[in-house]
Amino acid sequence: MKVTFKRGVHLSYANKNATKSLPVRDFVSDEVRIIMNMHIGAPSVPCVKKGDHVLLGQVIAEPVGFLGIPVHASVSGEVTDVGTIPYLGETPVQCVTIKNDFKDEWAPLTPLGDVETVDPALIVPAIKNAGICGMGGASFPTHVKLSPKPEQKCELVIVNGAECETHLTCDHRLMLEEGERIVDGLRAVMRALSVERGVICIEDNKPDAIENMRRLCATRSGVSVQVLKTKYPQGGEKQLIEAVTGRQVPVGKLPIDVGAVVCNVGTCAAISDAIRLGRPLISRITTVTGCVKEPANLRVRIGTVAEDMIGACGGFSEEAGKVAFGGGMTGLCIPNTDIPTAKSTNGIVVYNEKDAKSIDEGPCIRCGKCVAACPIGLNPYLIKRAADADRLDEAARLSVNDCILCGCCSYECPSRRWLTASFKIVKQKLAAQAKAKGGKA
Amino acid sequence: MSLRLSTAPHIRSPRSSTRLMLNVIIALMPAAFFGVYNYGVKALMVILVSMATAVLSEFSWQKITQRPVRIRDCSALVTGLILALVVTPETPWWMIMIGSAFAIIVVKELFGGIGDNFLNPALAARAMLLASWPSVLTTHTAIVSKFGEVDAVAMATPLASNLEELGIKFSYMDLLIGRIPGVIGETCKLAIIVGFVYLILSRTVTWRIPAFTVLSAFVFAWIFGLDPLYTILSGGLIFAAAFMANDYTTSPMSSYAQIVYACGIGLITVIIRKWGSYPEGATYAVLFMNLLTPLLDRYIPHKVYGHKKTGEVKAQ
Repeated sequence: MKVTFKRGVHLSYANKNATKSLPVRDFVSDEVRIIMNMHIGAPSVPCVKKGDHVLLGQVIAEPVGFLGIPVHASVSGEVTDVGTIPYLGETPVQCVTIKNDFKDEWAPLTPLGDVETVDPALIVPAIKNAGICGMGGASFPTHVKLSPKPEQKCELVIVNGAECETHLTCDHRLMLEEGERIVDGLRAVMRALSVERGVICIEDNKPDAIENMRRLCATRSGVSVQVLKTKYPQGGEKQLIEAVTGRQVPVGKLPIDVGAVVCNVGTCAAISDAIRLGRPLISRITTVTGCVKEPANLRVRIGTVAEDMIGACGGFSEEAGKVAFGGGMTGLCIPNTDIPTAKSTNGIVVYNEKDAKSIDEGPCIRCGKCVAACPIGLNPYLIKRAADADRLDEAARLSVNDCILCGCCSYECPSRRWLTASFKIVKQKLAAQAKAKGGKA
Repeated sequence: MSLRLSTAPHIRSPRSSTRLMLNVIIALMPAAFFGVYNYGVKALMVILVSMATAVLSEFSWQKITQRPVRIRDCSALVTGLILALVVTPETPWWMIMIGSAFAIIVVKELFGGIGDNFLNPALAARAMLLASWPSVLTTHTAIVSKFGEVDAVAMATPLASNLEELGIKFSYMDLLIGRIPGVIGETCKLAIIVGFVYLILSRTVTWRIPAFTVLSAFVFAWIFGLDPLYTILSGGLIFAAAFMANDYTTSPMSSYAQIVYACGIGLITVIIRKWGSYPEGATYAVLFMNLLTPLLDRYIPHKVYGHKKTGEVKAQ
């Protein structure tokens, strides 16, 4: 039976056609720029210096704090710079630049063997040491997700293969080409948490992926495929849990509090490599599409610069108006293409000038399309009114902090109002206000 | 190279406000064509005068008050067209002009323009015309001539309440295909339903409010001892359900509030028809429920994900 969550929007996924049937291509650039805050949490601290020779998979930065994970060299070669570069946020970030010697000499690895026989106690530390964080976009450190408190009992591991975003097909291709790694990773997570049941969730617009994953699950214990209705944001963590378990994650709680852990398919594949091969997370599949000559799914080393990837896809097919990391609904714009990709960069989408043009807001016609779309059950039109008047308390009372910034309201709004954009700003202001008051940000 | 920066989402639905309004106009076309086919050129004149007056009133008002001119969103055209379709073809040109200007200036613009009016402009104008010139607006020339029979007596809208007095009963088929006297656009239910199906398929509106309006009228009519099928097929109920009850601005937002709102329209329509001295109930039922919309929005919002209780939404 197909399951889904409440409300949401139906998008056109024609923009996936350019890449969904193309096999993943390998692309290795001469230089990688690896940033230190690819995960949520304190940035890692570089432990190499300019001029050092590093091996593939060697630790180049040490984790800091509870949410910290190490960072590894994604190519072998010489460290040419340890400094700061501008990134997507307002502040520059620390970055280690490595010149690739194309030898791909691996640092010593310690494989743990088959995921079905490995000592479960070794799995979570191995995941942390491999520098794995959520590869679906949120980049939450995976080992933290897999370390529940004693009172939290996980009953179900959910693998997120929904890929409800527009343009992107990297997860789709991964499920088709390397499904085995996903199932292995899922089994490792299940064993680490001693959970009996794991489901791989895929939207019904990817029948080939469903079939392949079903075939792979047939021979393994406790794993199955759950077909989802195609609807955005089906792959949002909260929406996925609602669809699969019928439960909602209470405000301020985590998925584990309703007995579920959600991992992206890419994360599972990385976990499999970390256990079976002892390899850290050094590469990922990224969809490069939109106005590029040859759209593709590229397997790139972490830290590959957007410019190089666009070049690997034949360059721009027309004048680029806007380039974003991620899909059409949640992608983050980059100011220029000289920006490196990170562990969670699932796509680079190039928009032409026409699609990039800024849109003028019309007056709210109270059509209610935003209310009918909001998967959280908010009243976006009212929050926008509060936001426009800079009434933060009113916005907070209307639960703006529960907004997941999925973009459904802005997408649907016939008056082209910048709903999601203003909620993002309001949320930032409220967080700053809370911080200033000494409360938790 | 300079790239633009913007916050997600980077894609927008193809349904802009103008597109939605055009969809409504397209959806009203079958009903309008049927009206013109039935009543001839005088019906066409009423429609054109009403639409032109609506657009002109909006344009002049916005010019005079120095506000942005928004006639390009086509919402005034929709208001003008709907108003024309709910009056008789015998309506004099000056009367429809007054009605149309009233709808735009008094009901819509004086309360803040598009999105801020609390009553459906076309319906409020119809109510105003009905109150001001009741004899003109409730007397309809029979149009059965088009279907072979010659019958030119003036009669009231065929509603269960007054039919027995007149000794006339129309068949369900007459009601469905519009072989009855009535206003320009309300008689042929089939044409209205065709238009409504287009509204649904083009995702301009959802089915919830119209469906619950008609369904609840059916159920309440049955409870109160009226002929349920006759109740929903006669008068302006189907037109009101398809094109007026679900007016964006004046209907509630949450799905639960929409159901309560729609059932309220069904109930009040039936009450007016059963016990009221006035034959038509749908107009006033919709207007009354329009007034309750802010309350419904406030007390029956969607439940917020992960919250225990449904929170009250206080409008500013």
